[in-house]
Amino acid sequence: MSALRMGRRLPRRTVPRALMALGALVAIGFVAVNVAIGYVVIDGRLDGQWYDVRDLGIGVQELREWLDDRNAQQPGILDFLGQHWISYAVTALLGATGILSIVGGALLILIWVERRLIGRMQIRRGPNRVGPYGLLQPIADAVKLIQKEVLMPRGADKVLFFLPPALIFIPMIVAWGPIPWGAQMAYLDVHVGILFLIAVSSLTTLAIFMAGWSSNNHYALLGAMRTIAMMISYEIPLSIALLSVVLLSGSMQLSTIVEWQSTHNVWLAALLPLAMFTYFFSSTAELNRTPNDIAEAESEIVAGFHTEYSGMKFGLFYAVELGNALFVAALTATLFLGGWSLFGLEEWIPGYLILGAKISAAYFLLVWLRGTLPRFRLDQLMKFAWQFLIPLSLLNLLIVAVEASVFARWEVKGIVSLGLFAIVNWAAAIILVREWARRMGYRPEREAVRQPILTQGVGGLQAARRLGAPEMGTQV
Amino acid sequence: MIPELFGRVGVLIVLGVVFPALPLIASFAFYLLRRRPQNPDPVKHATYECGVESEGNAWGQFNARYYLFALGFVIFDVEVVFLYPWALQHGILNTDALFKAAIFVGVLAFGLAYAWRRGALEWR
Repeated sequence: MSALRMGRRLPRRTVPRALMALGALVAIGFVAVNVAIGYVVIDGRLDGQWYDVRDLGIGVQELREWLDDRNAQQPGILDFLGQHWISYAVTALLGATGILSIVGGALLILIWVERRLIGRMQIRRGPNRVGPYGLLQPIADAVKLIQKEVLMPRGADKVLFFLPPALIFIPMIVAWGPIPWGAQMAYLDVHVGILFLIAVSSLTTLAIFMAGWSSNNHYALLGAMRTIAMMISYEIPLSIALLSVVLLSGSMQLSTIVEWQSTHNVWLAALLPLAMFTYFFSSTAELNRTPNDIAEAESEIVAGFHTEYSGMKFGLFYAVELGNALFVAALTATLFLGGWSLFGLEEWIPGYLILGAKISAAYFLLVWLRGTLPRFRLDQLMKFAWQFLIPLSLLNLLIVAVEASVFARWEVKGIVSLGLFAIVNWAAAIILVREWARRMGYRPEREAVRQPILTQGVGGLQAARRLGAPEMGTQV
Repeated sequence: MIPELFGRVGVLIVLGVVFPALPLIASFAFYLLRRRPQNPDPVKHATYECGVESEGNAWGQFNARYYLFALGFVIFDVEVVFLYPWALQHGILNTDALFKAAIFVGVLAFGLAYAWRRGALEWR
């Protein structure tokens, strides 16, 4: 029994003097390096150089030119592939490896972050045993899952049962391609970016249905059918919400959309609140995460489509779920929160760090939703999609279309028109959501206000005192 | 430009196959090294339905209301595909394009209202 569990305080360790001196040195060094960077940035000496860490795309471009020059001097045997094949292959592999390592590393950390955050929200500690602060928990999980016996139900379709854990990974990783991490740091800067992302991310449904169907399990098939019904329904409001982004910015290319926000000094979240709300909620439905996880509702259908999956195959499903959640956060940050730009601050802070901070904020919102809301019923979710989100997003589309034609023709561009649009759209969003919800039968004034009842157990006592809840129950 | 981007998608797809294959191969290697158990058993490999014997095959008939929603999805998804080119060229087009798009969306909204009235949007 550890001291923590007994309720005694652990003896506080004093920090050695050498460590304090080292800390001070590191702090001074940090400040000095930052001052030097600031000097170089103001000087403009960094702009366009290959060692400009604010935008790694410039360095890759230089590498490309250097490789092309080298190849032109010494022709190789594979030159029938084209003049630039070496530089092309090298940069493509570099970018893809970068994306894969960022996403893979983020997945490892996110397993810990998510469980910790949810633990905090539910007034418990979360994983804290393996390593410092439980940081090694993901590795322990992976080792455990790899060592698990591989099971396959007798009636399953052998080939189709093995494919989905691998197939579900592809749309997740491909969807990360078009996200721009800096002005020239988009790996896959397609002109039809938004359409490409919608097309790719809907492929996840196929893998999920394959998993549910091949298990030959009633629960799994039910979960897969529910997933399809829900993904299908929420795909429509999602695409219509993204249409309004295309209308206003006039492009489907993600880098152009970010540049539009950067040049107009505005976030699309401020201009299109209803579109952002629709997009965000629809994508949480597509993710099968807790407020909308009827596809794998534990209390109803065991684990839905991955009931029969165990060991590392289950681990892959879990990882992809987290990766898709992170991708939704990234797309929200890119389309609605300004991407790598931050009102001129991108001159000073690397764009990928800004985007990372925005992704973390959006991801925290997702975790918060998961930790707060109970699960919706299937009929409620379908009703919400077809009778609430689709009509509202159609109305929003018409409003934004009028605004976009005004914006394209009006001479006074910038703050006047955009400010006007923001006011109109926020008013429209609030009125539409409120009135449509009342039309659907939402009457908050008729429901009694209930005081929260808090347990006063281990962590609950502090929370109860903090919230000023009346003292009740016995202290454990 | 375009084939270059296709190649990049291809690289990502290959990595997307290799990356999830690694832990699965590791798992298989653990089996070869006898570090993980593999003791087949008829009960272990039975279909898991909360301990109850599975009744028949899961690949049978299914509730039709799922297909109703699939029909609605097809209609609206095609609509969205038609709307994307319009949205992209909206700044260049004349003002009457706006009215034409409004009529197009209006017809679909009418269809939605009709389906709603007939109760096709209710999950019963």
